[in-house]
Amino acid sequence: MTDSALKVTNVSKTYASVQAVDNLSFTVEPGEIFGLLGPNGAGKTTSIRMALDIIKPDRGQITVLGGPMSEATKARIGYLPEERGLYNDMTLLDTLLFLGQLKGLSRRTAQARAKNYLQEVELWEARTRKIEALSRGMNQKAQFVAATMHEPDLIIIDEPFSGLDPVNTRLIKKLLNRMRDRGAAIIMSTHQMHQVEEMCERILLIDHGRSLIYGSLPEVRRRFATNAVEVDLQGDIGAVPGVEKITHQNGSYRMVLQADIRPETVLKNLVNQPEITVERFERVETSLDEIFVRMVGRDPALEEANQ
Amino acid sequence: MTKVWLLATQTYRQHLRSGSFLILTFALPVLMIIAGAVPVISMINDDLTRLGYVDLTGQLPVPAGQLKDTDLGLSIYRTVEAAQAALTQNTIDGYLVVPADYFEQQPPVFYGRAEPGPLLQETLSQLLRRAMLAEQPAWIAERLADPSQLTYVARATGQKVAAGPGVLIYVIIPAVLAIIFALTVLTGAGQMGAAMVREKDQRAMEMVITSIAPWQLVSGKVLGITLLTVTQLAIWAVGAGIALGLLFLTTGGQPITLPWTALFWAVLLCGPGYLLYAVLAAGLGLIAGDQQQARQFAGLLGFVGLAPLYFMGALVNATNGPLALILTWFPLTAPVVALFRIAMSQVPAWQLILSFIILMVSLAAALWFVAVIFRSAILLYGQTLRPKQIWQILQQAGRGR
Repeated sequence: MTDSALKVTNVSKTYASVQAVDNLSFTVEPGEIFGLLGPNGAGKTTSIRMALDIIKPDRGQITVLGGPMSEATKARIGYLPEERGLYNDMTLLDTLLFLGQLKGLSRRTAQARAKNYLQEVELWEARTRKIEALSRGMNQKAQFVAATMHEPDLIIIDEPFSGLDPVNTRLIKKLLNRMRDRGAAIIMSTHQMHQVEEMCERILLIDHGRSLIYGSLPEVRRRFATNAVEVDLQGDIGAVPGVEKITHQNGSYRMVLQADIRPETVLKNLVNQPEITVERFERVETSLDEIFVRMVGRDPALEEANQ
Repeated sequence: MTKVWLLATQTYRQHLRSGSFLILTFALPVLMIIAGAVPVISMINDDLTRLGYVDLTGQLPVPAGQLKDTDLGLSIYRTVEAAQAALTQNTIDGYLVVPADYFEQQPPVFYGRAEPGPLLQETLSQLLRRAMLAEQPAWIAERLADPSQLTYVARATGQKVAAGPGVLIYVIIPAVLAIIFALTVLTGAGQMGAAMVREKDQRAMEMVITSIAPWQLVSGKVLGITLLTVTQLAIWAVGAGIALGLLFLTTGGQPITLPWTALFWAVLLCGPGYLLYAVLAAGLGLIAGDQQQARQFAGLLGFVGLAPLYFMGALVNATNGPLALILTWFPLTAPVVALFRIAMSQVPAWQLILSFIILMVSLAAALWFVAVIFRSAILLYGQTLRPKQIWQILQQAGRGR
């Protein structure tokens, strides 16, 4: 059996009187992109820093790539932190060579990798420029290369797409997917929920240091699905059996079903009404964005559902 | 160790190219060389080698011929007109006139093709002294000519040094080393603190510390800054060497005896002493919120480093007194005070060995302290680590977290 890339078990951390992380547990497996989500100040960065052994937990256990953090393990981790920065007065190439060698690459390998990656992210021409002379987007790509050029087995990236235009966002996504396909475990912390929905297999949503949602994306969606359908139809609609509430918006009807009623029952009821022609009938899926807002906004019904 | 070296060389290269380092490093030796070159240039200007002498008092005769201890030729003239004629005919380069009322405070006057340099001025003064003492026993003339001929005996080693620049160097070298150490600490501490704040400012640290351990990072930084300081000292030493060489030319050199014992203790105490300052400066740089605060902290550290100079009066009066002993054992003042004491008196070896041991223990404690606060401090971008936070971090470290 393959070891988890990261296993966090009952970890807690307190700063003075603030409980930054509270009894948190999760695992990240090789070959998956894992979404670590939460509002600002939720404890994501503290959790990441504990996983990376930058700060020590008060309680709990963390194993990285099958064991405790060691020098050898560090060389197998790539990290793109939220607080970004490179040495402003160094050239791009020198910076990458330095950081690559710190990760255990030989100078020759670091040179070859730097060339490949810089060419791939279209920064090779800028290799002799000082970091301070790079644009924000270029800087972001440079940091991404610095964090991944040693081809780590565990990659932790915080807001990887911030500051990138759509073309470069697509480029970084392509690279991340390739790393995932290679078997790397990727932990992605972001507030861009559509990116999470597109890329992540599993997610962990935390707030006040506690786990609110943890599981695969389809499972989470199922768990938070509202009993509602969206219908486009021709004709005048009156009362529909099994439907609790109907609202009309942008030419579509949104119907909230009674608790024990299934969508197919409502569809049957609609089709049986001769004055109505059903053109589209779709179960309403709750978006991750909506789930995030509801959970962090403390929707009591949803919190109960989660329990 | 490879990673420590990698970090050290990166730190070294980064700072080596900075404008402030280049200015500080090269300005001082240039000034030293200029200072050393001025007397030489003056000496070069001394092309007045054929002199005349006119004694209008009739009481200060000197013999004609080559002047003692010089290459200068001397001709005697009875009248100023005769001397002036010789100068006009280029028989002589200049002449000294001792006026008739010389004994009533009238100064002698030198007429020449150029202004006499310092060496020629001193030679002419000697000439007059010898003329005035012509009827005295030879030894009086000798003593008056050079009353400060000393033989220095180092009580620490019993070694004797004859008169001349050697004496000066034997006494001065330990003191100069002490001052250089204090200055090095000032600049090194400043650079170290600035380097750590820069790491925080540029926010590259969070990536770097996922590659190496805190102790490796601190060691790499300290090593890099130490290499930088050594480079700076080497450049200063070259400048000082050239300046001393020039000075040596003007004093007509005598053999120099180096104080090997003092040099031995200088290496033994200043090495760990410097590292202690560098590690503490790294710690203060981590605690500081910005460059300005880092400079203030470095200033405080430099103030402590220079503290022995403020107590110099008391130390000179009682080189083996209680204050001298305390400052010899206090790790931050140990190198400077020990070297001053070695220069001025006999210091028992056990006192210096104890000083070395205390320095090494303090260095280990400082490294531990910096490594402990490192994790918390390095991520506080633009923030100062408050004393209460430091205390909590140390408590946590004590509990093994």
